[in-house]
Amino acid sequence: MRKYLFIYKSEIMSNLQYIGNILFGFIFYFLLLFVFFHLWDYIYSDPEELIHGYNMSQTIWHVIITEILWSSVGGNKLCQKIINDVRGGNIAYNLNKPYDYIGYSLSSHLGIATIKLILYIILGFTLGFVFLKDVPIHTLFHLLIVLFSCILAIVISCLLIIMIGLFSFIIEDSTPFYWLYSKAILILGTLFPIEFFPSVMQPILTSSPVYAVASGPAKLFVDFSWNGCVEVLFIQLFYVGICYILCKLVYQKGVKKLNVNGG
Amino acid sequence: MAVIEVKNLSKIFTIKEKKQGFKGSIQSIFHPKYRKVKSVKKVNFSVDKGEIVAFIGPNGAGKSTTIKMMTGILFPTEGDINILGLDPKKHRKKLTYEIGTVFGQKEQLWTHLTPYDNFKFFGAIYDIPNFVVEKKIKEFEEIFELKDFINTPVRNLSLGQRIRCEIVASLIHEPKVLFLDEPTIGLDPVVKENVRSLIKRMNKEYKTTIFLTSHDVSDIEKLCKRVIIINSGQVVLDDSMENLKYYYLNKKIVEAKMKEKVSLEDEEGITILKDKEYNIKIEVDTEKRTVADALKLLNPDNIIDINISNIPLEDIISSIYKKEDQS
Repeated sequence: MRKYLFIYKSEIMSNLQYIGNILFGFIFYFLLLFVFFHLWDYIYSDPEELIHGYNMSQTIWHVIITEILWSSVGGNKLCQKIINDVRGGNIAYNLNKPYDYIGYSLSSHLGIATIKLILYIILGFTLGFVFLKDVPIHTLFHLLIVLFSCILAIVISCLLIIMIGLFSFIIEDSTPFYWLYSKAILILGTLFPIEFFPSVMQPILTSSPVYAVASGPAKLFVDFSWNGCVEVLFIQLFYVGICYILCKLVYQKGVKKLNVNGG
Repeated sequence: MAVIEVKNLSKIFTIKEKKQGFKGSIQSIFHPKYRKVKSVKKVNFSVDKGEIVAFIGPNGAGKSTTIKMMTGILFPTEGDINILGLDPKKHRKKLTYEIGTVFGQKEQLWTHLTPYDNFKFFGAIYDIPNFVVEKKIKEFEEIFELKDFINTPVRNLSLGQRIRCEIVASLIHEPKVLFLDEPTIGLDPVVKENVRSLIKRMNKEYKTTIFLTSHDVSDIEKLCKRVIIINSGQVVLDDSMENLKYYYLNKKIVEAKMKEKVSLEDEEGITILKDKEYNIKIEVDTEKRTVADALKLLNPDNIIDINISNIPLEDIISSIYKKEDQS
């Protein structure tokens, strides 16, 4: 475990020099929230009105939290790195190091995600206060539980993206799968709470990875309940386990077919 | 005692083939065709503890593939590899603690971190206690003369400094066997010499077995006592440097400056390499003719200055490559 913590720490040290690049991403985040604030402001005739059980503040905080999670992961960069490692043969050079490639990629990317998460939390909460003037969660303990759930969401998201990247062992370029994944998360998990979807879709979405990586922690934040907390954390822990096992299986199968030419 | 044993090692790659042009691209989607390429063919050799062995061959000969199989990066199609009693295929992770690798064309250092932070990182991934890593860094800092740049981010180092750090990073866990794949590639002659002397020192002080590949003949000549030549996936020569020079140095180069112009033509055992005004350069095959024969042809009274030398090792090695290609 010490080595993975060191990889995580090294990645943070390495990326602290590029905070400027992360700050650049704030512009898009600000624009998105600005648009959504005005959109929901228009839809809700009264901010206290409930649509599918959510008032205006809760709906916008849902977007703030899910966007913090999505922006912190920076999935495109991770996916492209794994694809390039597989296609370019770089993955082979990790084989003669005493660590597990999945663990290495995960802890390394979590290093970048941690910096982004802190920065996006500061930005998201500042914008939330400015636009909405309140926060739906009121105790520090609840907030810490939501933070833990957010960390699990990022871990699952990274594992899913690593798995998509590793599909390059089979189909050469798995970028289209990442495109589908990112759009699924955006439409089904980021923009609207699950309760906004048709009732037939809700149980499917709740048991899907979309809930574990986006809607679940956001729901906990906007409407904290102990039942909801157990449900979200259980689903997330289940997905952490299953995604790690699947990543290992794809990796072990793929690495045997590895061709590294030249030298 | 052998620390590396390779028996009947073979590797077959499956390579996708595509017909030319757009039509070929479409066809390859529906009817992909694959070709099997035997990159390494029944290779056998062993290396003793503390040896520095050169493993050389032309591009595409199979040397990097062999090294990658020996370090657990690639799975062999058939054959056995035993490194320090471990099979890289089965005990890859365990083996990583016993061996070090430097691939001259691949960076393993974190470019945004300093060499010091990188060494600490490598210490951690090899589960070395912190105080041992600190001690090792101090030791290597002196041996590899890293003091001036140990706290400079790797991205700001020169290539020579970076290669030195790459070697140190691969030594931090005190490997018993070190695989160096073209460690001096792209370096200037002074830095090359520096790296070579460090490799020698490492071998002497830590008794590290070194398995080296390089296209630079000087690396081989200055570092190795034994050479294994591989061509078209097969070992074509496995001998000491001494024997290589002795058996293959059957040609001498005679360069002379003459008082008067001589006109010579190629004959058995004598090849005219250069004949320009009063300067002549000939190659003498000492299996067929003696150097004295060549001097007689030139007429010793007509010679102002003369230089007799062996043909360069580089030419010997290329002639072995060519001979094998023809056969």
